[in-house]
Amino acid sequence: MTLLQRIKDLVRSRSIHVSYVDVGSCNGCDIEILACLAPRYDIEQYGIYVHNNPREADVLLVVGAFTLGWEEKLKMVWDKIPEPKAAIAIGNCPISGGVFDRRGSYVDPPVSKHIPIAAEVPGCPPRPTEILSAILSIRDTVFAGWEVKQR
Amino acid sequence: MKRTVDVNIPLGPIHPCFKEPARLKCETRGERVIGAEVELGYMKKGIERIMKGRPWQEVMFLAERVCGICSVIHNMVFIEAIEKISGIEVPPRAALLRVIANELDRMQSHMLANFSYCYTIEHETLAMYLLDIREQVMDELERLTGARVTCAYIVPGGVRCDIRNEDRDTLSASLDRIEHDLHRYAKMFETGPMIALRSKGIGILTEESALQAHVVGPTARASGIAVDMRTNHPTYRKLNFAPVVRHGCDNYARVMVRFDELSASIGLIRQSLRALSPGVIRGGGICKAGTLRYSGEAPRGELTYSITTDEYGRVAEIQIQTPSIMNIEACCHYMIIGVDSIADVTSAFVSADPCIACTER
Amino acid sequence: MTEWLYEQDLVSQKYRILIAHEHDQLIRALASDLGVSVQELRRYMIEHIDMILLENIPARYKAAVAAGADADDPVARELGRDIFSRGIPLIPNQQMEEILKKIKERIEAGSPVPEAVAAGKAMVREVILR
Repeated sequence: MTLLQRIKDLVRSRSIHVSYVDVGSCNGCDIEILACLAPRYDIEQYGIYVHNNPREADVLLVVGAFTLGWEEKLKMVWDKIPEPKAAIAIGNCPISGGVFDRRGSYVDPPVSKHIPIAAEVPGCPPRPTEILSAILSIRDTVFAGWEVKQR
Repeated sequence: MKRTVDVNIPLGPIHPCFKEPARLKCETRGERVIGAEVELGYMKKGIERIMKGRPWQEVMFLAERVCGICSVIHNMVFIEAIEKISGIEVPPRAALLRVIANELDRMQSHMLANFSYCYTIEHETLAMYLLDIREQVMDELERLTGARVTCAYIVPGGVRCDIRNEDRDTLSASLDRIEHDLHRYAKMFETGPMIALRSKGIGILTEESALQAHVVGPTARASGIAVDMRTNHPTYRKLNFAPVVRHGCDNYARVMVRFDELSASIGLIRQSLRALSPGVIRGGGICKAGTLRYSGEAPRGELTYSITTDEYGRVAEIQIQTPSIMNIEACCHYMIIGVDSIADVTSAFVSADPCIACTER
Repeated sequence: MTEWLYEQDLVSQKYRILIAHEHDQLIRALASDLGVSVQELRRYMIEHIDMILLENIPARYKAAVAAGADADDPVARELGRDIFSRGIPLIPNQQMEEILKKIKERIEAGSPVPEAVAAGKAMVREVILR
């Protein structure tokens, strides 16, 4: 590993910009992501910064069973995120549809049909600490040595 | 609506200020907003369609997942409607425990709403303070019910688990702590000069238009309408509940109503803890057939379930009317019309505490 | 009409709102009151009303009825002025007032009230079917 790569890894490990997109959840996972911002979990001590701008994000948190309104749009949001990027499915809904995947509903899970998902955090809803550890594990597995892996 | 306009500014579906996807198309002339159209459909899951034909044991969990922020009240209204249809009595201790769980849920929801508002007007300090005490409320909710968000605490005929004596003491101790902090933060909001500049006189919702759009909850109470479904609830009546009303009609009044209601909720929990007498927490009964329209007061306002059940306790027909439907409608068609700049649209929208997951179900 | 960025066809999503239980019952009642078919009324609503207002229609209708719509004017109440122009904004206020004025002229000219109201309903129907 070159020196440049090591510098890149070091910088990236302390600067993760997170964007979240709600594709039809019950809000339960949303507020658990918001709770991550609370001083108790102190997300910024890990260098994670949550805002809602896909164009400067590294990690996309996907929440909710996939509703039909998002059909073309989620792909567009995903394309706007610059490389290196990773998507994390938060909660049961994006993984399997959860309670909403029944006959007669308007959802189309799983989300991995539409965009590539790097990590999944099951739970209805998962705890903020679990969301936090998922983001941190993405940092070590996807972003570390990204240029090397590309070759 | 097909209309030709000068300039239209779409906000959303992904926007830093909105927690959930909604698309506001604001028609503007200069900086002034003259009209707005809302585009939903990003959260339509069809929960009511899934609920049809399922037994109450399943619908109970689905009802909770209509909205994650106010899950306890959805659970409570659905279960109380089933109880009313079947004539099931609730033991007094369980009724008080329901009030405690519901008020804790209301507290965390109001704190989240005020957090969102402070975050939107870029007063991040106060926002983080509020989010910090919200975690303490979430702890109490978890200690009481066993889960942070979707707790399924209320079941027909009572509640799922009892409160232990030592938990009671912890709860009242932490309520004291929360009230002390809350008082400080409410004062910060009330007297903050920059907050007042950013909130007073913005997003006016007059009483007349509030009545026309059938606005409910804190949004209505900030416009001087004393409507609160808790005044009709038997347990709350025993606790001598009175709604909080303000006449400001603006963003500031809406947020202050929520601060006042937080103190009122703390009072209600204390009263219920005092009134808690030993006894059973689960009654019994059989779910029967019937039709009922039943309302309860969610953190955002009046929540109505129209339910028809059959003799096996299955839900034959259901319609949920959530408070956010009315509030967002009033917000987009009355509140943000005529605000001075497009920057005030987001703060006016967030001050009504919109919940898109509720609205679309 | 101005072109929106990322515009998508909302008809199917608006239709999904209208087929919910309470909405469906209300629209059937309104359609039989006006004498138009349910499909025509749905089409008109989908074209003219935005999504949040569609969701709010039952609540607005109930609020309008509870507020005693047109309690002081029996002709306007028969026509449903407040309900169709303010409660559920199907028809612009001004147009409704014009229709009401025409009916009142007819009543003054000596035609019986039910007949005049029926003529007014026909005018409302014309607006919807146009």
